[in-house]
Amino acid sequence: MNEQPVMVFRDVTKVYPLPAGDVTALDGVSFQVDRGEFISIMGPSGSGKSTLLNLMGCLDIPTTGDIFISGTRIGDMSDIELTNLRRDRIGFIFQYFNLFPLLNIIENVTFPMMLKSQKAVDPQKGKDVLRSVQLEDSLFTHTPTELSGGQQQRVAIARALINNPDILLCDEPTGNLDSKTGAGIMDLMTDLNRNGTTIIMVTHDPHIAEYSRRTIRIADGRIVL
Amino acid sequence: MIFWEIAKRNIRINVLRSSLAMLGIVIGVVAIASMGILGNSLVASVADSLSSVGDSVIVTPYSGGGMRGFGSTGSAVNLKITDQNFQQIKRVAAPNIAIPVYQTSEHMKIGVGSDDIVAIIYGLPSDDVPDLLKIKEGVYNNGNTGCLIGPTFAKDHNLKVGSRISIGTDGDKGTLRVTGIIEERGMSFDISTDSALVVTKEWFENTYNRNADYDQVVVKVKDGDTAGVKIAIENQLNKRKDEKIVNVMDSKATLATIYSTFGMVTTFVTAIGGISMIVAGVSIFNVMMMSVTERIKEIGIMRSIGTQKKEVMSMFIYEAAIIGVVGSTIGGVMSIMAGYAISALVLNTTKHLFTIANALSVAEGMGFGIVICLACGFYPAWRAANLNPIEALRHE
Repeated sequence: MNEQPVMVFRDVTKVYPLPAGDVTALDGVSFQVDRGEFISIMGPSGSGKSTLLNLMGCLDIPTTGDIFISGTRIGDMSDIELTNLRRDRIGFIFQYFNLFPLLNIIENVTFPMMLKSQKAVDPQKGKDVLRSVQLEDSLFTHTPTELSGGQQQRVAIARALINNPDILLCDEPTGNLDSKTGAGIMDLMTDLNRNGTTIIMVTHDPHIAEYSRRTIRIADGRIVL
Repeated sequence: MIFWEIAKRNIRINVLRSSLAMLGIVIGVVAIASMGILGNSLVASVADSLSSVGDSVIVTPYSGGGMRGFGSTGSAVNLKITDQNFQQIKRVAAPNIAIPVYQTSEHMKIGVGSDDIVAIIYGLPSDDVPDLLKIKEGVYNNGNTGCLIGPTFAKDHNLKVGSRISIGTDGDKGTLRVTGIIEERGMSFDISTDSALVVTKEWFENTYNRNADYDQVVVKVKDGDTAGVKIAIENQLNKRKDEKIVNVMDSKATLATIYSTFGMVTTFVTAIGGISMIVAGVSIFNVMMMSVTERIKEIGIMRSIGTQKKEVMSMFIYEAAIIGVVGSTIGGVMSIMAGYAISALVLNTTKHLFTIANALSVAEGMGFGIVICLACGFYPAWRAANLNPIEALRHE
């Protein structure tokens, strides 16, 4: 594949300085994610999954090593640049959906669009994306609390997709759903991946990891085979 | 913009908390603005009752220090300005007009069988009266048996032009016919004619056996340099350090001192009102901190999906601004009502309510309310914007 990888980690280390002594959360991690991949990241608690997720989501920068998102090195970026990168290149899906309770479904979905355009946006694109994640039209004007967990997660996926990101970053996307609803969400994500969306999913559930085409296992801050 | 909408909705959803914060601002604005209105109305009311005396220099016999009060009787202490002194004053004050004034209290009767009353009688040179007094009815008095009367005196005793007044305990000092009624002058530093009679200098001298020993001299300063005239008179008459002859009062400076004193009183009471605004500010700060603490997770989500710090900050600033603007507007309206009530109760008049000074007081109160809200919302907003998005996302 000649296309540029959407994400590259090159010998990334993350050290947290604590009063009791430095804690190395990631130790020389290197990998790359190509466009269109569906990757799951697995590892036990305390293995460094969350740190890895924060770095992949540009919420944090590495202590040493390089991270490239669509060819852009994030290590020297300002907070404003990192924020713009998150807004334009990365779609976040959280375990607890994390929709905004004060906004209705359409407003939640179009929120990142408004951040990007800095003005009111046409809700039509929001509706189209919501339909693509199989949410009924009648729910569009509801507030998040009026929706079921599965419906809320579909809204969260629509919100993550609205700015056509390079990567969809998922943190235990089915962790707060029953197995049937979770399966429905994973089917949706599989469909999205088939249509070209690059997905990186952090999970501890091996059944959910089976939906991905590649698994990166991490233990004690290192990638293990 | 979406952050404005979120701010509005957050206020709506926490309506009780937001209303209480607004109430603090309302009280603060009402306290500041209504105190300002009261002070301004007080000044306007005093200014209204003081006649246009800002162009006079009043010379009275030296009475051992201090100035005489309004309308006090110089003759009571038997100190007079001699004709020689008057001539000196006249010369120094030229080309301004120096008017010698006689003054006494006298018993009098209005009509047959009426009660004996006491009023002040001023004796002025007929030619100078038009320079000092304006009449609203009748004509100036040139004859020896005529007099001018003040409007309050005329009203109180139901007198008209042509009415007659018996002077003296038993009318022993003759009868005067009212030739004109003087325009209202209000309180004055020179002569207070509203409740008094004004007679000719000659009648006064003949009746009271006076001869060029005046109770005071009023200099009408045409070019406004009352301070210059005052200094000139003092330099001429109070040359000797060990013997002062006259007290000289610059009415313009005295007026300025009075206004300045009232201004200070207004500032003081407004500052007391400002304390309640500070308390309101603390309440706003508390509400905004609560709002931030409750929404830490939401802030984390916003930041993670690409919201800039300044946008998070704007959301909370909008919230503080809405509380400030709504609270201050309600406070502004209520302060006009409060100002109306206070003016009516304290000053017995509301005619000074709708003035530029009062509008400024209301605007000042409202502006202070909005500024306090924004200032007290700034730190919580800054704190929200600078939360670590990773920690904020983990917040439960």
